Amino acid sequence: MTANAARQDVEAAAAGLVKTPRSNRDLEQQLAGFKTIAEGLDYAARGLTGFNFYSAKGQLSHVLTFADLRSRALATARKLVSAGLKRGDRVAVIAETGPDFMAVFFGCQYAGLVPCPMPYTMYIGGRDAYVERVTGMLRAAAACAVVTSSDLEGHILAGAAGAGVEKVLTHEALQALPESLIKLEAFGPDDVAYIQYSSGSTSEPKGVLITQKAIMANTQGILRDGLRVTKSDRAFSWLPLYHDMGLVGFCLAPMMGQVSVDYISTPSFARRPALWLRLMSENRSTVSFSPSFGYDLAARRINGEAVTLDLSNWRAAGIGGDMVRADVLKQFSDTLSVSGFDQNAFMPSYGMAESTLAVSFSDVSQPIRIDAIDKLAFKLSGQAVPALETQDRDAVRSFVVCGKPLPGHEMVVRDEMGSVLRDRQIGHIFVKGPSLMSGYYHNAQATDAVIAADGFLATGDMGYLLDGEIVITGRAKDLILHNGRNIWPQDIEWAAEQVEPLKSGDVAAFAVEGDDGQDNVVVLVQCRVTTEAGIEKLRREVSAVVHHSAGVECAVVLVPPKSLPFTSSGKLSRAGAKQKFVSGELVEITQRAPQAAEFLAAAQ
Amino acid sequence: MTASQETIDQICKLLEPFNSTGKALTPDTEISADLNIDSVAVMDFVMEVEDHFDIEIPLNVVSETHSISDLAAVVDARVKKA
Repeated sequence: MTANAARQDVEAAAAGLVKTPRSNRDLEQQLAGFKTIAEGLDYAARGLTGFNFYSAKGQLSHVLTFADLRSRALATARKLVSAGLKRGDRVAVIAETGPDFMAVFFGCQYAGLVPCPMPYTMYIGGRDAYVERVTGMLRAAAACAVVTSSDLEGHILAGAAGAGVEKVLTHEALQALPESLIKLEAFGPDDVAYIQYSSGSTSEPKGVLITQKAIMANTQGILRDGLRVTKSDRAFSWLPLYHDMGLVGFCLAPMMGQVSVDYISTPSFARRPALWLRLMSENRSTVSFSPSFGYDLAARRINGEAVTLDLSNWRAAGIGGDMVRADVLKQFSDTLSVSGFDQNAFMPSYGMAESTLAVSFSDVSQPIRIDAIDKLAFKLSGQAVPALETQDRDAVRSFVVCGKPLPGHEMVVRDEMGSVLRDRQIGHIFVKGPSLMSGYYHNAQATDAVIAADGFLATGDMGYLLDGEIVITGRAKDLILHNGRNIWPQDIEWAAEQVEPLKSGDVAAFAVEGDDGQDNVVVLVQCRVTTEAGIEKLRREVSAVVHHSAGVECAVVLVPPKSLPFTSSGKLSRAGAKQKFVSGELVEITQRAPQAAEFLAAAQ
Repeated sequence: MTASQETIDQICKLLEPFNSTGKALTPDTEISADLNIDSVAVMDFVMEVEDHFDIEIPLNVVSETHSISDLAAVVDARVKKA
């Protein structure tokens, strides 16, 4: 234990806080296999493990053993009943990382109420956009009540008013209610479990309806088959609990396996990315996941501190939620190897909220596998042809292999006509299995659009299979067709982002269909350059690299910083960017984008 | 709410390293809209302000803060409370 860790433990103990132990000595570890979330918590509550919350400065601020969580949840269940809520009612709850959210989420499980975790606001000046987003979610969920921290009450009142939700309760107000004495009826094995809002745009949010059966299947797959969890494991997370990777991966799954978790909130991570690694070192954590960008941010902020850390216990460093980027992982392991980080700990994975969370994990005991393929064959024929070692680097595209589907789940790749493709043929990815959502809440049309009669979910992702493992190459719906060629917008964006001073997330590429049915390529670029000469230089350079990388004419439209829309999971929303462009909401910062005006006129 | 000139000056000093536009900072400068600072850098800046003044600024307050003078008023109110 480092001196710092010892000091923190002493401070926390002085405040009466002792973090939960790594494992239960007297309770056999059971990796899911329960019938409901409530049953899983009943079991976990017999041990000593649980959740630990750290402040933005890295101090232990709350300890919630699973036993504490169960008793708080049972009390909260009775208070929710006292608030007038009836079985099956949707209860929106702002998913701030802390015991209050947990009490409501699990309280709903014991009261037969459907919790709907909702995001909080993180951005300076972001109030209006946030209220609009919450209004849409509350309306789509037909929420009967919303529970929030007192900090956010003003925002939530505005959102609730817009959505016609009358019951707005702060955690304090909820906890002040009496405990109803009626017999609680927890959700049964055939009931729903929760609704998750992370799909769809602000104007049309789609709630993913997850059943008890689906969460049981997925958490078992995560614990037993993906991570192969043992009593030596201790998890760490900064992921938001309104997102599937945070909620399922680092709250529900650990609870189902009686694994202790140490948390910092997402804003704490954004402010101090190095805190993630520092606390993992102090807790000798073994499992933590992040999208590629989190590894990028942490590696860039750790500076000289890396040498003081001990990350040698970290055996599963999962990557999910965005395209796994091999270059970012290499940078991270180069920077952190000095702290004992083992690059073989990297564990690429694939999943989506529509499949509860996880679809596939790469083998936790193996190093990551990178498939280098011929770029030209990839573009022209939709084939993933292995690159020759002698090939020029520019002619090669490398993808990270994301593992086999969980047992009991199927994954197929199909072409446009629906025929199943062989290994190394690129097509649309479909998944099937017990983890799938039962549908989008109250939105049969959207559900039918993604789940076919054969039970397969259209993931909207493109990729190919390789010895039963999946390789993701991009999103299907964003595909650009140009002169009969398939162009992946990711390729254009990736190329443009290499132009100084652009960064990842600064570029959105998409096609706008012209009069002739031909796709015109529009490249939106967030421009932080302010001099006229600089602006025109940027436009020229982006245009040049797009020509070079995709061989296509494009209109480069320079837009203000931070104007490109992102999904709640942090992915660039190309469809959203396109919509904003076509509607005229996103416009060129100068008056000079002649082609764009032409394309726009054709599109409108 | 009005902000003291001293607080405004100190915030400008803390903000300057994040200001890549070269624009002069004034009380009316909108931190996110005018200065081309990405969201992670803004979080970073807010943290610097919190550390400098030894206060905490909750996220709901951050979400309602636009200009430098807004932020200075928040700081003054919280320093006083502490």
